[in-house]
Amino acid sequence: LAKKKKEKKMSNLVEEYFEAHSSSKVLTSDRTLQKLRKRRLNQQTLHDLLKRAPLAYAAEIKDLNQQHESLFSKWMLQLHLGFNIVLYGLGSKRDLLEKFRTSLLQDSVHLVVNGYFPSITVRSILNSITEEVLDHIGTFRSPLDQLEFIIKRFKEDSSLELYVLIHNLDSQMLRGERSQQILAQLSSLPSIYLIASIDHINAPLMWDQAKLSLYNWLWYETTTFSPYVEETSYENSLLVQQSGSLALSSLMHVLRSLTLNARGIFRLLAQHQLEKKDNPSYPGLSFQDFYQQCREAFLVNSDLTLRAQLTEFRDHKLIRTKRGADGVEYLLIPIDDSTLTDFLEKEDEDV
Amino acid sequence: QQIQEDLNKQLLDNLVSFLSQSHSAFQEKTTEWTCRMKFREIPTAALVLGVNVTDHDLTFRGLSDVLQENITPYIALLEAKDCPGIKNLMQKLMGQLMNCDIDVDSLEDEEYVPVSQNRIRCSMSSLISWYESVTKKTDSETPSKKRNASSRHWQSPPVVVIFKDMESFTTKVLQDFIVISSQHIHELPLVLIFGIATSPMIIHRLLPHSVSSLLCIELFQSLSCKEHLSTIIDKLLLTSQFPFKLGEKVLQVLFNIFLYHDFSVQNFIKGFQLCIVEHFYSQPLSVLCCQLVDAKKRVNFLSHDQCENIRRLPSFRRYVEKQESGKQIALLTTDNFLKEETEKLLEDLHVYHENYVSVLRCLHVFTSSLPKYPLGKQIRELHCACLENRVWETEEYESSLQLARMLNKTDLVSMLQQCVEILLSSSGKEFDKTVEKLKEFLTQFQNLEAEASQERDVSISSQKELQKKTDLYHLQKTLLELKESRWSKKLTRFEMLRFEVVDYIDSLVRTYLVPADNRTLHEVVYFNAAAVLRGHLNAAPRTALHTALNNPHWYLKNQALKCDGGGISNKAPDICIVYKLHLECGRLINLVDWLEAFSTVVMAGEEPNADATSSDQVDDIIHARFIRAVSELELLGFIKPSKQKTDHVARLTWGGC
Repeated sequence: LAKKKKEKKMSNLVEEYFEAHSSSKVLTSDRTLQKLRKRRLNQQTLHDLLKRAPLAYAAEIKDLNQQHESLFSKWMLQLHLGFNIVLYGLGSKRDLLEKFRTSLLQDSVHLVVNGYFPSITVRSILNSITEEVLDHIGTFRSPLDQLEFIIKRFKEDSSLELYVLIHNLDSQMLRGERSQQILAQLSSLPSIYLIASIDHINAPLMWDQAKLSLYNWLWYETTTFSPYVEETSYENSLLVQQSGSLALSSLMHVLRSLTLNARGIFRLLAQHQLEKKDNPSYPGLSFQDFYQQCREAFLVNSDLTLRAQLTEFRDHKLIRTKRGADGVEYLLIPIDDSTLTDFLEKEDEDV
Repeated sequence: QQIQEDLNKQLLDNLVSFLSQSHSAFQEKTTEWTCRMKFREIPTAALVLGVNVTDHDLTFRGLSDVLQENITPYIALLEAKDCPGIKNLMQKLMGQLMNCDIDVDSLEDEEYVPVSQNRIRCSMSSLISWYESVTKKTDSETPSKKRNASSRHWQSPPVVVIFKDMESFTTKVLQDFIVISSQHIHELPLVLIFGIATSPMIIHRLLPHSVSSLLCIELFQSLSCKEHLSTIIDKLLLTSQFPFKLGEKVLQVLFNIFLYHDFSVQNFIKGFQLCIVEHFYSQPLSVLCCQLVDAKKRVNFLSHDQCENIRRLPSFRRYVEKQESGKQIALLTTDNFLKEETEKLLEDLHVYHENYVSVLRCLHVFTSSLPKYPLGKQIRELHCACLENRVWETEEYESSLQLARMLNKTDLVSMLQQCVEILLSSSGKEFDKTVEKLKEFLTQFQNLEAEASQERDVSISSQKELQKKTDLYHLQKTLLELKESRWSKKLTRFEMLRFEVVDYIDSLVRTYLVPADNRTLHEVVYFNAAAVLRGHLNAAPRTALHTALNNPHWYLKNQALKCDGGGISNKAPDICIVYKLHLECGRLINLVDWLEAFSTVVMAGEEPNADATSSDQVDDIIHARFIRAVSELELLGFIKPSKQKTDHVARLTWGGC
């Protein structure tokens, strides 16, 4: 009976998949965040706001953590027996690992790898092992060579012991095939003890049989429910203002400092772009047309001044030029239309 | 923990020796073949090894050791991950071959200057010149100083290159290497060995005809992993040598992982290891889990607390309840009496194990020959069935007994003989009587044969009588008599005997194969926490996330979180609310609507204590919380930003999970 039930569940799952992907049409409303009339938050204000919001169920979460902490000595035993430990479950496991580190690894050599850090590479991990732990100065041609060197050293000297703690083994930078291969080989050394945490639901997909046997995982469920503060601070969320792209406030700021004519030039371009916003194949305004229009509005007097002005815009990342198929230069403002509309409205108020 | 490490080591040593044993036959075949190879094409051995890639390391190591001893000192092991291009491959090959050479030489303390491999330019020609120099050296040496006896008659020992994982090599590298080396086969006698995980078809798929025609391939089949498993079970689980035993559930988990997931013997061993660790870590009485002599010593040194632990065992309680009251009091109060009693019980347990194994094997002999295998074909299935509950109460056992009653004589005799052998080889003392009995059966069977021929004589004589009597009336009468007699003597002596044997076996089973759960003090040696084991070896992170997000009260013990199934509770943590709202959406989710739904839910929760004055601020905080929850979901992989529509995210899961 149980089997039948399971089968039914399985077929349900399959059906659900096809149901979800059957029609390419998506039924959602067309509302966007711009219409919400709410300023976008940046990282700092978000952080401040979250600090003010009380953490729910602090007591229960503390209980949970204490449960996990009671396992620490067991982890140590199992690490020494050649297993490596991987933690999974909802919630940030950073504090837990940190606690493990401070309580048990204080006097032993250990290495903490922040996997969520966006610029981490396997190379840097290997470097820190060779430089800090093995005191080896020198470069290697490839990570594989480096790995070989490390393995050799650890095999020669049995007194060397190293604890490696990796937060978020499944992060963007470490999830590649080659980095996992190297980490797996590293962790298969008997005197290197690895504790890692994973968060992504598909994290186990990155290991095949061979890697799994090298890693020799013991799985531990450590659901902590604590918020992913550090981990998500690097995750560029949709709702948080991104420093890379241009926002309304910075746009206004830059343009305030320009001359009236320069502002006029930008307005002209923005208006033109908004007029054509419904045309998806709109390549931008060609330089010649733009020059013509600027001349007609008495904004520039020569080709050269316009070019100088455009270079200034480009330096502030206000416009982007793109060469079309016919070799003509097209000008575009790389800002979404709603921000542009807002900008024009503000400009009108000012004038 | 000392014991435990000892145990661990013992176990691993055992395993390694078994594995290499099982490989040795296969290796010898390969070795022999390598000797025979000719110099026309590149001789190639394709080893079909099965999908359990993780176990192959040991095989290859053994193989190269054997080859090194017997034939040639030049062996290179190549792995696909080291050889992305032909250049790396050549480098690796050169390095390994030269190292091999140095290794062998240094054993014979020759003053050989080690070449630093990085300096040499790695090409086929340098390889050949190296080879020539080496062979010249070997040739020029005096016979007394030659490397070893077996390689002496090999004027030019072959160079063996082993490709560990054929499937993961890139086609081009492999093809190039084969073509290159085939050009030089006269100067450099190469032998290739491919380790193949799938089927020999892969050679033809990877290599085009022009390349594979350069190879002279011979196929070798290795033992299937199931056979490995059964040897391991034989030597590990079904011996009295190891005091540590596995419970039925745990065994099932391990077998399931093996049979349904990976076929990897190494993982099985790992699981077994984990069981040992867990057992010795969690069970305070596991100190007594050792050989009987040691156990008795340790019982004497038990502290009061440990005695209390013994008293707390459920199986011990059952035992106490069965005793009379005076003894009960003594058991529960005096430690010394308890210790004596414990010693006896441990001894019982030990004897039980010894008997159990041999009787199990006997029963296996019977059941494994029955049609349709009602109790299973492999001894592991029988073992599980016996551990699970009383085996004689199951339907399968009933039907197998019925089938056994219909066995013919030759089978029965051979089985009995096997049983006698098994019982003789077992160390248990109690089997003398059993063996006697079985031997008696055997002689009776032999007697039967003689009697049967007599009987046949009788029947023939009666037939003759029949022919004599020509009278119709008499004929009818004798025929009737004959018929009647046939009906009445339904049971010949053979059949009687057969029943007797089967019944006897049955009684054996009933006395010796009592499931271990019913024995007193079984907790000391049996490990039964299957759920723990499954959690650690075969975890389901997705399920854990799902439960945490769906029913947070499962983890956070708070009354407020308990709610009825489908609804969205407004008291749940933010991420749970966001998750549940996202479950209701299709493939794309509009962020604005999502945010609004979220704030509606949260506001409903906060209404009682919210003040109207700071509504704007509350709004901001809710917005921030929403952002945090959404980015957490993104981190967990449930959603990803989508470019299809502005301010939408795409859902990466489907259905209710």
